[in-house]
Amino acid sequence: MRTEELYRYSDAVNELLARYGVKFGIYKNGTFKEQLFPFDMIPRVIGKDEFAYLEKGLKQRVMALNEFIKDIYGDKKIIRDGVVPEEFVYMGSGYLTQCEGVMPPKGVYAHIAGIDLVQGKDGEWYILEDNLRIPSGASYPMIARDLCRKSSPATFEENAIEDNRNYAKLLRQTMDYVNTGGHTVILSPGRYNAAYFEHSYLAEQTGAHLVTGNELVVENDNLYFVDYSGKKERVGAVYRRISDEYLDPMNFNPESVIGIPHIYDIYRKGNVALLNAPGNGVADDKGIYYFVPKMIQYYLGEEAILHNAPTYLPYYEKDMQYVLEHFDNLVLKDVAEAGGYGVVFGSGMTKEEKENFIAMLKAEPRRFIAQEVIDFLDINIYDNGQVVPRKADLRAFVLMGEEPMVWKSGLTRFSRNPDSFIVNSSQGGGFKDTWVMSE
Amino acid sequence: MRRLSYQYYMQLSFLHPVERHHFTLRCLPMADVGQKIEEQTLQITPSYVGGYETDSFGNQFVYGIVRDAHTHFVVDVKGVACVDHSIPIPVTELHRIGMFRYPSKLTKTGAALKSLLQKCGTCVEMQGAEDGCNALERACMLMDVLYHNFQYEPGVTGVNTTAEEACELGRGVCQDYAHILLALCRMEWIPCRYVVGMMMGEGASHAWVEVCDGKEWIALDPTHNRLVDDNYIRISYGRDAQDCTINQGYFYGSAEQTQEIRVVVEEMSYDR
Repeated sequence: MRTEELYRYSDAVNELLARYGVKFGIYKNGTFKEQLFPFDMIPRVIGKDEFAYLEKGLKQRVMALNEFIKDIYGDKKIIRDGVVPEEFVYMGSGYLTQCEGVMPPKGVYAHIAGIDLVQGKDGEWYILEDNLRIPSGASYPMIARDLCRKSSPATFEENAIEDNRNYAKLLRQTMDYVNTGGHTVILSPGRYNAAYFEHSYLAEQTGAHLVTGNELVVENDNLYFVDYSGKKERVGAVYRRISDEYLDPMNFNPESVIGIPHIYDIYRKGNVALLNAPGNGVADDKGIYYFVPKMIQYYLGEEAILHNAPTYLPYYEKDMQYVLEHFDNLVLKDVAEAGGYGVVFGSGMTKEEKENFIAMLKAEPRRFIAQEVIDFLDINIYDNGQVVPRKADLRAFVLMGEEPMVWKSGLTRFSRNPDSFIVNSSQGGGFKDTWVMSE
Repeated sequence: MRRLSYQYYMQLSFLHPVERHHFTLRCLPMADVGQKIEEQTLQITPSYVGGYETDSFGNQFVYGIVRDAHTHFVVDVKGVACVDHSIPIPVTELHRIGMFRYPSKLTKTGAALKSLLQKCGTCVEMQGAEDGCNALERACMLMDVLYHNFQYEPGVTGVNTTAEEACELGRGVCQDYAHILLALCRMEWIPCRYVVGMMMGEGASHAWVEVCDGKEWIALDPTHNRLVDDNYIRISYGRDAQDCTINQGYFYGSAEQTQEIRVVVEEMSYDR
């Protein structure tokens, strides 16, 4: 594969990314800081056949997850049949009683799913986590690809790479499929959100209006966009980039000032589509993750194509035993935390920390999962002119329109710290383009 | 059976005019088993646009927006309820019972609740029976211990006070009694729900608890340490008070406001 020419443009591409505002905003100790999201020119390359296998597995997984959410807020067959214990549903922070008995347009809950995978040294792919609320990140490889193509068109002529600039088209299809009549908007909390670049970029690329909560109003059981002159136009689909909690002060957190009062009431009536559906958090909880292969079996009658990282639930006596015996080899995750927080390695604890943790684990076994530490396949990055291996994961995007669609690319994130296994961008990592080969 | 006439009257007064006032009102007595509603009227002023909807707990609510500037917001519900508590309230959606079995935001377990639960002893100890007791008997025991370890005192707790906070304080109002009983029942795996309603002799809304024994819902009033009778009118259900907020508002303007609430429940005729 010929890529050398492309690498010469590393600085130029990163400068352009900075100018376009490809940044990550982080709140730390009460202050808002923006930091660049460094782009590494060496792409992650996934072969055609390998991606076809991932694609099949990802579609299967997201279909089962969508069925699960529908079931949980509906008949709850999977609980009655004893496949998922009810406390993992009701005690989870993502379960919202407001969603009980509410069916979203066309029965789609997980419109945009970001599924995080890693590849082990054995070549095997493992699912790390499912993100079904508001997964971000697609815009970064989109714009990076665009700039790379401009820098070195020859690279993309000589190599048979799937074009990933169709993400906007897939997203638009997904939004149009559930639209109940009217405009499509992308709802952002505003300029100071960590993913504001993405909100504006996706709006520009899909042709949707970029709006904030105060530009939308509920009237006569419909949602309207109010323009600068006061003119109202009906909205049929909202790709909302604000969390459930802040979406509607009348139905969720009453303190929210970025939401739209009563939007959930008309959603309940079927008069507007919300992407993703509120309440999805019930399915991407780290505790529920353990049950996804069982869900695939339960709802689709199929074996899971893609495997979870080997996971133990201390909730089960047998697993608790295993966790206590192999504590030093495991990574422990608090099911209530996200973004790389609440993750600890058994081997990294002092004796005292370990004792405290085990006491906590025994007191609240449902709160934690334990996983084998996967020996990641390192991938190369440029670090100050040198090629060095680093840990990386892949966020694949699955969009649920009439059929599930897998974007032939993805966000590859890497850890800049050679000793860290955590590649989350909230923790200061960088990203790469992901090339899916077409031949 | 009793025929009770009722009125729920609420007036919000704002020091300065407010506008774009969104509201959600869970203030309508429910038409349900053992509670027939007749001649109900609802008046909301100033004029508003909005509609009716039903939430996940089956509560009907009114929602809408008063767009123009106003200094008063008045809600007046009147009607007649035919109440017969001897008709059991069946558990119609058994598959949804799970949501009433786990702690909600305001009924989370803490040290004070655990220590109160210890005072309740176990079923076997209190009954002397080997296989313990059923959900209702157990809930009544919990209610009795709560009643004797808690002081009724208005003004010391607020709408967001949790069961644990109230239990630690040892004082509170009907909402706190209900929350603590819910928390205790849920620690014992008994599904139970929060009920907002009205009762004869109270000038404000009231709150109590319904526990599920597997087949039906049985209502207990922990503030008075008794089973609910025909003097009570049900308005809404939820996991705790937050699901049953009678009046929720969101508006633009000065937040300085005063609220006046009047609840009148009177017997119309007694029929045996």
